[in-house]
Amino acid sequence: MQAELPHLDPAASQINVEDSAEQIPSAILSLSRMLLTLFIALLMGALVIWISGKNPVEAYRALLQASLGSRTAIANSLLAATPILFTGMAAAIAFRAGIFNVGVEGSLYLGGFAAAWVGFTFTTLPPLLIIPLSLLTAGIVGGVWCYFPAILRSRLQVDELVTTILLNYVAILFTEYLVNGPFLVPGLANAMSPQISESARLLRLLPPSQLNASFLFALLAALFTIYLMTRTKFGYEIRMVGDNPQFARWSGINVVNVIEKVMVYGGIFGGLAGAGQVMGVHYRFIAGFSSGLAFTGITVALLVRNSPLGVLLASLLFGMLRSGSATMEIMTDVPRDLIRVLEATIIFFAAIEFGNLLWRRHREH
Amino acid sequence: MKSITKTFPGVIANDKIDLEVAQGSIHALLGENGAGKSTLMKILYGIYTPEEGKIFFNGQEIRVPNPRAAIRLGIGMVHQEFHLVPSLTVSENIALGYELIRNGLVDRKAQRRRIAEIIEHFGFKLPLEKPIAELPVGVQQQVEIIKLLYRKAEILILDEPTSVLTPQEVDNLFGVLQNLREQGKTIIYITHKLREVKKICDFATILRRGRVVGRVRVADVTERELANLMVGEQVIDYIFPRSGQVGEKKLVLERVSAIDDRGILALKEVTFTVNAGEIVGVAGVQGSGQSELVEVISGLIHPAKGKIWLNGKDITRASPRQRREIGLAIIPEKRKEQGLNLNTNVVENVISTRYYKSPFSRWLTLFDRPAEKFAQRIVSEFSITMSSLKSKVENLSGGNQQKVIVGREMIEQPDVLIAAYPTRGLDVSAAQFVRETMIRRRDQGGAILLISADLDELFAVSDRILILYEGQIVGETKPDETSFEKVGLLMTGHFHAS
Repeated sequence: MQAELPHLDPAASQINVEDSAEQIPSAILSLSRMLLTLFIALLMGALVIWISGKNPVEAYRALLQASLGSRTAIANSLLAATPILFTGMAAAIAFRAGIFNVGVEGSLYLGGFAAAWVGFTFTTLPPLLIIPLSLLTAGIVGGVWCYFPAILRSRLQVDELVTTILLNYVAILFTEYLVNGPFLVPGLANAMSPQISESARLLRLLPPSQLNASFLFALLAALFTIYLMTRTKFGYEIRMVGDNPQFARWSGINVVNVIEKVMVYGGIFGGLAGAGQVMGVHYRFIAGFSSGLAFTGITVALLVRNSPLGVLLASLLFGMLRSGSATMEIMTDVPRDLIRVLEATIIFFAAIEFGNLLWRRHREH
Repeated sequence: MKSITKTFPGVIANDKIDLEVAQGSIHALLGENGAGKSTLMKILYGIYTPEEGKIFFNGQEIRVPNPRAAIRLGIGMVHQEFHLVPSLTVSENIALGYELIRNGLVDRKAQRRRIAEIIEHFGFKLPLEKPIAELPVGVQQQVEIIKLLYRKAEILILDEPTSVLTPQEVDNLFGVLQNLREQGKTIIYITHKLREVKKICDFATILRRGRVVGRVRVADVTERELANLMVGEQVIDYIFPRSGQVGEKKLVLERVSAIDDRGILALKEVTFTVNAGEIVGVAGVQGSGQSELVEVISGLIHPAKGKIWLNGKDITRASPRQRREIGLAIIPEKRKEQGLNLNTNVVENVISTRYYKSPFSRWLTLFDRPAEKFAQRIVSEFSITMSSLKSKVENLSGGNQQKVIVGREMIEQPDVLIAAYPTRGLDVSAAQFVRETMIRRRDQGGAILLISADLDELFAVSDRILILYEGQIVGETKPDETSFEKVGLLMTGHFHAS
């Protein structure tokens, strides 16, 4: 039987594994796509500045100066990048698995509150105990919060896009209730929790900047996610499920399980992002403190087409824009909302991609 | 249609086909899967362009570069999958893309009037203002037909219209078709179901392997004659030696019933055994429960009733992965949807069933080297041709894609292999290679269940053949003790004729 088979010359069928010629163009392509999008966004911003009668070159110079011009400026940029690193990774992983987890914002609020609660309740614990405990609680609360829509999606086919959007309101309003009701601090004008204990506060890395140890956690989490997506079984499962869930099912991959894990992973990251803000910046839970950090994460993920490495770079960039804008406003009179224009332009282009994703999702249903 | 020829890479789908359809008749285009029926009709409807051949309509030669042109000429087609917008109403769907415009606006009134006229004229009954999503499949199909009439179609092509319908809906459809015929419309009816041809069609053109093998007036022939034309005489150009020795029971199904995604009982009390060292073929016309059979054995759907044993273990409730661990391998029916991830490379495609085990991974980490080595082994053992292991599977030819699947499923010598249409769409040499691989595995003691639409193939490689009809095993036979005719009759529901 063997002899009848049309076997190729072994030398001819030997294939060079190292041949990555086909991969390089795709990496260059996505990088240049990101840069092009940014360039167009900056151009649009310049146009807006120019129309409002100010000098775009000056404004951008001020922006650059304010985000990279000094040690404190750089530290502030990294500070602004910290929560976006978490939420960007959460979004990228979910999208890569073909899941629309928009519930990270809710996890961020609940995780933030959980960290604050641990911090102002167990005030006698030493830093070495209370900091891990706070982070752990925040991660668990954030993860569990995303587990509900995950079950609804994977077991009952309830659309996670809808449930997570709606659950965000529940989480945001619930935490607002908590600081206005059971945890109300008399005498404070704003709705906020009591301060967390000294020992629960994260180390400030470069005072006077508020940059703190949570940036290091975010960096670690980002590096871990990059490793996870490219070098682990779970990353492989995510990619296979995202590319073709049917194929994954036929191959024996437990698709339901992968979907649930991905959503919980995003929730944990959301919780940690919230904890970082509470423990490192505000030292208490403040109602409405996030103003859409998870959605900035979604923007970042879309901009880099869900590449974890790309999220790392783009988060730093967004951090620069965010932190530089306040100083730019003071120095050049260009309002900081300009950054929103830039972000909106980026979203506009990313939306084309998003539209493709939605279309694919529609087809699969 | 005269002398139509259309080839796809490696296959001649239509080989000098002549088709003549009389006005005001229902004309069946009969043939098995892959006979070239749909290709021919897609040429008439302007989806494909033939390499050769001419099309005449009312005595004049026409050219059909695209569906829009076909519609303008009065040719319409109802596909197997409906092209409707679920959220729009019936009348909006009917007019979609061909709205009546007055003063730059859609003239809804005139539009509704015209649809109402059509509905009355042809005797349809359906709610015009309901959204499509709320209507049963049979009614949706009627909407598709009305859509064609609204576009003033004279020739209506129906591609296997009954495959998605319940028996009552089929009766309704036949009523509609008779009405249309009385009103002078011409209908081309693509099918492989003889009973329907006999019941509703006036003429039939029978295709086999891209050629016309018969043109008949339906009233003049029996179903048996039609079946013979459809499945053809056996082409004895290759027959593999039959199994030398049959061993112990490897796969056992006992009274297994299963429900399909429409909620209909698709498998009814199926009982059979596949032993070590034999290939058991499953014959049947498309939609007889083959997909559900594969899914229920693979663990993708759970049986409604019955038990399944694999290698002596009860796997009725086991997960797909547990089944694979016990020794199951599956070549799924749909190569591109189920068998492969087209977006990634060969390496990631071949490890999909074993990436979680040593040597491919340990704890969390997945290693590149063993995966590449493994892929390399499959590539050379199964002579897969491609530019690099890192090339996207999407860019491979159909034959090589199938070899990637066959390699992944067979390289580790599975105890039990379920092969669903493993040679469909492959050229002769690639198909032969897949068959030889299965025979070799059988000779080494593997148990193989082969589901195929190709009787030649089933007769050539099977040691036993089961015939599946409407979800039931209606016969079991040995290929050397039966004929195409007998199997063909069982496949089409004639149990007592033989």
